[in-house]
Amino acid sequence: MDESRITKADIPVTEDGVQPSSSGGDKREFHLKGSQKDMIFYVCMIAGAVIQFAVCYVWVNVSSFIMAFQNINVATGDISWTFGNFGDIFVELSWPNFWTMTKNSVLAWLLSLVVSIPLGLLFSYYIYKKMPGSIFFRAVLFMPSIVSAIVMVTMFRYFVTSAMPDLMNDLFGVSMPNVLDPATGHAFGTVMFYSIWVGFGTSVLMYSNGMSGIDPELVDAVHIDGANGIREFWHISLPLVFPTLSVFLITGVASIFVNQINLYSFYGGTAHASVQTFGYYLYMATKQADGDYGSYPRLAAFGLILTAVAIPLTLFVRWLLEKFGPSED
Amino acid sequence: MFKRELAKRNKLLGIRRERAHPKFSPVTIAMLIVLILYVASLFLLFFWAVLTAFKDPLLDFRTNTYGFPVEWVWNFSYVFTQFVVHVSTETRVGVVGMAEMYLYSFLYAGGSAFFNTLVPCITAYLCARFKYKFSRVMHTTVLITMVIPVVGSLPAEIRMAQSLGLYDQIWGMWILKANFLGMYFLVFYNIFKALPASYTEAAKIDGAGNMSVLLRIALPLVRNTFFTVFLIYFIQYWNDYQTPLIYLPSYPTIAQGMYTVSVTPTQEMSYVPMRLAAAILMLVPILVIFLIFQKRLLGNLTVGGIKG
Repeated sequence: MDESRITKADIPVTEDGVQPSSSGGDKREFHLKGSQKDMIFYVCMIAGAVIQFAVCYVWVNVSSFIMAFQNINVATGDISWTFGNFGDIFVELSWPNFWTMTKNSVLAWLLSLVVSIPLGLLFSYYIYKKMPGSIFFRAVLFMPSIVSAIVMVTMFRYFVTSAMPDLMNDLFGVSMPNVLDPATGHAFGTVMFYSIWVGFGTSVLMYSNGMSGIDPELVDAVHIDGANGIREFWHISLPLVFPTLSVFLITGVASIFVNQINLYSFYGGTAHASVQTFGYYLYMATKQADGDYGSYPRLAAFGLILTAVAIPLTLFVRWLLEKFGPSED
Repeated sequence: MFKRELAKRNKLLGIRRERAHPKFSPVTIAMLIVLILYVASLFLLFFWAVLTAFKDPLLDFRTNTYGFPVEWVWNFSYVFTQFVVHVSTETRVGVVGMAEMYLYSFLYAGGSAFFNTLVPCITAYLCARFKYKFSRVMHTTVLITMVIPVVGSLPAEIRMAQSLGLYDQIWGMWILKANFLGMYFLVFYNIFKALPASYTEAAKIDGAGNMSVLLRIALPLVRNTFFTVFLIYFIQYWNDYQTPLIYLPSYPTIAQGMYTVSVTPTQEMSYVPMRLAAAILMLVPILVIFLIFQKRLLGNLTVGGIKG
């Protein structure tokens, strides 16, 4: 706090007509005392947050790193050191399953990049332009975000597996398979469709709020210059909402490794290997370990491998966006 | 700059600053059609779920999966009594009913949301108003942790929670969630940073201590944002079933109960109308909150760029 301008003369006289003492009245001493009080207050107030961070973030991540090199004997509690966890996880997973998981995780990310983000931006543009029903649409687009994934999935699952097949059969005479059964080959596509369908809420809210900050004079000017809606969207709205978009793009890279695409809500711990993603596997395997410390090191090793890929990839995407992203000028 | 030149030109031309009336273009017409289809699909699902929740699971739903109920059946009372989770942990063995699950949900979601809002708010205040080097370290830490993804630390977190006695305790979850990291730190930080120094200095000259300034000036100024962030977190934690599934085996929340019921095939709750009735019972409180506070929830929280 900048208190350098406060002198003793500035200190108001109390109701009793007494000017508060500053321990000798020396200006320098007053400053010292004030800053000491500030420091004590600061340390006391921030200590909790720092301790929480040190324990729940730093300690956890350091432990996770160390655990990746440990071999824990659950019966005796003995710990030995090994690099074997990094190989064991691939044996446990099997290479074909690992590649399927990689493909699914990357595909989920690409679909969100190619479908969710452009659609989200266009929806936001519609809302920002205050077109008919925009307030209503904004609320409805946000609605799936406030409904629990397990509730939405329960409704969706029974609709597509019980009502839809009957409806298709009665209306068109078409026999519709159980699209959530991996044996039909439609399970991953259906789960992805669902994830995109319910995933617009937060991004549309952020994009449209970001667009609402665009200077109307700028928009008026491009219209006077003869620009249409598409050019306005491309040359004004998109560049000016780019800082918000870049947050989603940068943090979205990590989603390759953590996104469960709602698989746990659809299948619990029994999703078929053909639909699994990294995020699902890590959660499911940890849940199924159910306190069995012996399997934790392999999962920590797998997490470490994924983190080693995720960090440079995220930083690379960030660099790309800063280097080639549009500027406000 | 370009923007200033434009503003100058518009002023000279006498162009008014108000945004022009919205006009339909091919893009907006296409968007309108897509949005109508989207809304219709979403409402169709909710409508179907509500209708099905009123059907007799054996006599009606088996032959009538998508029509109106032949006879409207009130399944909710039955669901409320039969919606149970069997708990079997070292500290507790028994059956938890729906009312108890609501209580655990309120405690878990309310407490976690409160501390997950309070800690970033206070930390942001300290970092924005006290210009120590450590404040910059904290600010940078938030930015770095937002950009650097860490994957697969769940097993280590579980072990930490167990070793510190936070595991299987609702208050333990409050501590686990009470971090200052994330986007909302930056939201609070920007607000406090923009606060004129005179606000707090005047109070200090009047004899107010640092705590008084925080409680009587700073926090009331951000109360709207605080409440919005709290609501967002409350909804998030109310709906979260995966964290309680791992960390709170003795205190199942309503979302955790919904998950358990949805994957347990060996009870009467496995009938589709019963499960949908349970889903609606879980949905109602959050829908009420959304309808009351939707303006606040859809308000003006924005995210800026991440710059380290």
